[in-house]
Amino acid sequence: MGSIKINNEKGIVELSGMSYLYVSPNRPLNIDRGTNHAAVIIDGKTLEFTRMVVKRIRSSFHSDIYLKPIIILNGNAHRDPFVRELSDGVIYSFNQIELIQSQIHLINERIKEITFINSLSLEAQIITKLLAFLYSREKRDLDPIPSVISNTNYTFPFLAVHYDFKEEHNIFDVLEIARQEGLFISDFHDRVYLCSNCKSSHLSVREVCPKCNSSNNETFDIVHHFPCAYVGPITDFTNELDDHLNCPKCSKRLRHIGVDYDKPSVLHHCKNCLTSFQDYFVNARCMSCSHDNPVETLSPADIFRYKLTKKGEYAAINGFVSTPKDIEEIIGTVKYDTFKTMCKYEIERIRQTEGNSNIVGVNIVNSGTVFSKIGSSAQKELLRDLVASIRASLRSSDMITFHSSSIILISMNEIPERIADRIAKDIMKILQQLLDNNFKDFEVELKSSVRKLNYHLSAELQIDQMLNDFVV
Amino acid sequence: MSALDDFISFLTTMGFERFIRIFWFFVFFELLRYLIVDIVALLSNQLKLLLTRRKRTEALYRLRLEQPLVSLIIPGKNEGKHLYKLVMSLREQTYKNIEIIVVDDGSTDDTPIIGKDLQKNGFIDKFIRNNIRGGKASAANTALRFTKGSIIVHLDADCSFDHDAIEQIILPFYIDDRVGAVGGNVMIRNYKESLATTLQAIEYFDTISIGRVVSSHLGIYRIISGAFGAFKTEALQKIQGWDIGPGLDGDISVKMRKLGYKVKFAQEAVCLTSGPNTFKKLAKQRLRWDKSLIRFRIRKHRDVFIPNQGFSLSNFFSFSENIIYNLVLNVKWYIYFFDMINNYPSQLGYIILTNFFLYTTTNFIKFVLFSLFRPRRESLVYFIPYMPLMVIYFGYFLRIVRTIAYIQELFFKMSYKDPWNPQKTSAHAKELGL
Repeated sequence: MGSIKINNEKGIVELSGMSYLYVSPNRPLNIDRGTNHAAVIIDGKTLEFTRMVVKRIRSSFHSDIYLKPIIILNGNAHRDPFVRELSDGVIYSFNQIELIQSQIHLINERIKEITFINSLSLEAQIITKLLAFLYSREKRDLDPIPSVISNTNYTFPFLAVHYDFKEEHNIFDVLEIARQEGLFISDFHDRVYLCSNCKSSHLSVREVCPKCNSSNNETFDIVHHFPCAYVGPITDFTNELDDHLNCPKCSKRLRHIGVDYDKPSVLHHCKNCLTSFQDYFVNARCMSCSHDNPVETLSPADIFRYKLTKKGEYAAINGFVSTPKDIEEIIGTVKYDTFKTMCKYEIERIRQTEGNSNIVGVNIVNSGTVFSKIGSSAQKELLRDLVASIRASLRSSDMITFHSSSIILISMNEIPERIADRIAKDIMKILQQLLDNNFKDFEVELKSSVRKLNYHLSAELQIDQMLNDFVV
Repeated sequence: MSALDDFISFLTTMGFERFIRIFWFFVFFELLRYLIVDIVALLSNQLKLLLTRRKRTEALYRLRLEQPLVSLIIPGKNEGKHLYKLVMSLREQTYKNIEIIVVDDGSTDDTPIIGKDLQKNGFIDKFIRNNIRGGKASAANTALRFTKGSIIVHLDADCSFDHDAIEQIILPFYIDDRVGAVGGNVMIRNYKESLATTLQAIEYFDTISIGRVVSSHLGIYRIISGAFGAFKTEALQKIQGWDIGPGLDGDISVKMRKLGYKVKFAQEAVCLTSGPNTFKKLAKQRLRWDKSLIRFRIRKHRDVFIPNQGFSLSNFFSFSENIIYNLVLNVKWYIYFFDMINNYPSQLGYIILTNFFLYTTTNFIKFVLFSLFRPRRESLVYFIPYMPLMVIYFGYFLRIVRTIAYIQELFFKMSYKDPWNPQKTSAHAKELGL
């Protein structure tokens, strides 16, 4: 048994040559530091904090982060199904790290087997992440978790981390794409009904007045007095003195149900609009958006249990290429492989000419949130607009490519770095203006990086270094 | 040929006195009441209409200005199949401020589904389903309890209406404030369906379209048809709705009259209904209707004949006319018949033939003459060939049915056993003499 070294200042725990990033509520949170460690250990005393950190890690689109093994220190938070699904183990003291070291090692070894291929569409990216996550954890089953904190009442935590609470219903579409691609097979589990307005499943089903939708109602028996044929609500027959029923028409006392009177029906009275009616409307009020849904207008959503297929496993190892929803090549861009090849040639050229060439990266920092909010078709439009704006600021010889739907790479050859930097800043200004004009409700965060090509280093390494600048 | 000669000789040698002796029933009752009195009353009514034309115009103006809410109530059992057509005819009305309330009295067909659907789609305002059948009166009272209008119109589900029928039936309330109830002009829609319906159509022309104009004008109108009748809500609330039937429409009209309200007939408020298409069904219907004369006029409301604090001369005459011309004359007809058998056995054939001729001629004259006083004259030619049959229809068929009904009700109180009304309620009505 090796000795445990705990560096409280840096939040690093070391054991047997493996280091762990320790994250707790009372120290600054810097998730991207996790890339240099075997796993992340989260102090699980506070459920909210644990959930937040787990979500931050798993929602990243950087494989070094989102696949990172997570260990919960102290089991309280681990009891939460959301945290349990997204973490890889629980320890109750640092001394127990040794017990899970082999498992962490195994996960990291399997991660190494995975090929990462970039997809443009958010759905394809999430599916790629999901396949990688399941493969690295040797899991084949993906089961829905009933959850009151899910907007759809059933959640798939690994998928849910990519969406805002209100957009969570999109995970059903993602899973359906994966199923149609043959990556999963599915078994029916349950059906939920979603608000027709906001797709939330947090519904309060109520009997309401058919006229004003109010649930402020009272119900009366209708009484029929046989001898005089008087019919009215039971309140017509009651009095304040005793419990007897007396007919308001003939003043006779009602004695025996079925003999001198009966109750042929009931009537409901709305205290809000004073309407009387016999059949309630059944409405489902959405607890998220307050929309009143007649139950027949609710959208049914079937919840399935999923199992990874051989094709899914193969796709995890070799990279999931695309889905029917993936975005086709956007005009004005080249493929990522072509970009890399051209960079290689450019490095060779500047090696001989000692010229100045640069690569510029533009990162949509909160792309997951943005794309999940605006949907697939708007995502495509947004990327097209961004490329068109960038292209307008570039020379025709400069190339643009997508590393992923959140990272655009640009080559700026034969110009000094400071000029490239200035052009990049101009582009960022234009892009930010474009985004601000288009999205009033939320902020799209952009980040850029300019890197002068160094002919001593390979093109791939320099691109990776740039991508590392964008790791969140 | 000798029989014809004998018949001609019988007619020509009769003389005035002998004619009166032999045809007293025709001369004193049929000719006097149903031709002479009717013509005088119709002419008088026309004159009144002419003189009160301005009053009517002002009433119509006031009605259109005020636009009171009119509650149309449609109680019934297993009437779902008629509802759509009925509602469509009501949506066509020139008078728009209406609420439609349908009460399903324990139907066993698709009425609940149809009614709820009509309500959901906004074609009717309220559909009330009573799971347990309580009878027509209880269904009407259920509707009454939930009306909001100042005027209530009771309709039968198998009826349809002229586009201005609602406006016409509520107009009398604005002509005279003392009017508490108004009857509509019910006509037979399916008059071409069978002989039974054709003869009913002619009968309705006579007894409703004309007969009720006359009785209304004379102040003795006493039955507001359940198929189409309008009531002041305050008046209905005073009497707290309908009592147990059968015959509840006649009963409520009497109760209105007893309260001092005028009861009027609106000839221009036309409603079409389906008459029974066979004589068997017709006989069943009339047996039910005719029993109510005994049950309500003779028994329940016999106090009309007793001079007391609430005594009203018009009610007295209304009832007297009703009883004399239905019950007494029905008996007298048999007396007349035996009188003829007894006194003129050898000439009985000629008497029957002459009566037939007299009645047919009178019917024809009435039909043509009264056509001048009623709406819908365009199809009258169709009925002319059927006029001779009306003697048999009126004189024998309806008379025999009426006789049976009176005997059943007088001696056996059969109306309380009529399945038209649930036994659970009829038993109480019988016990209480209602």
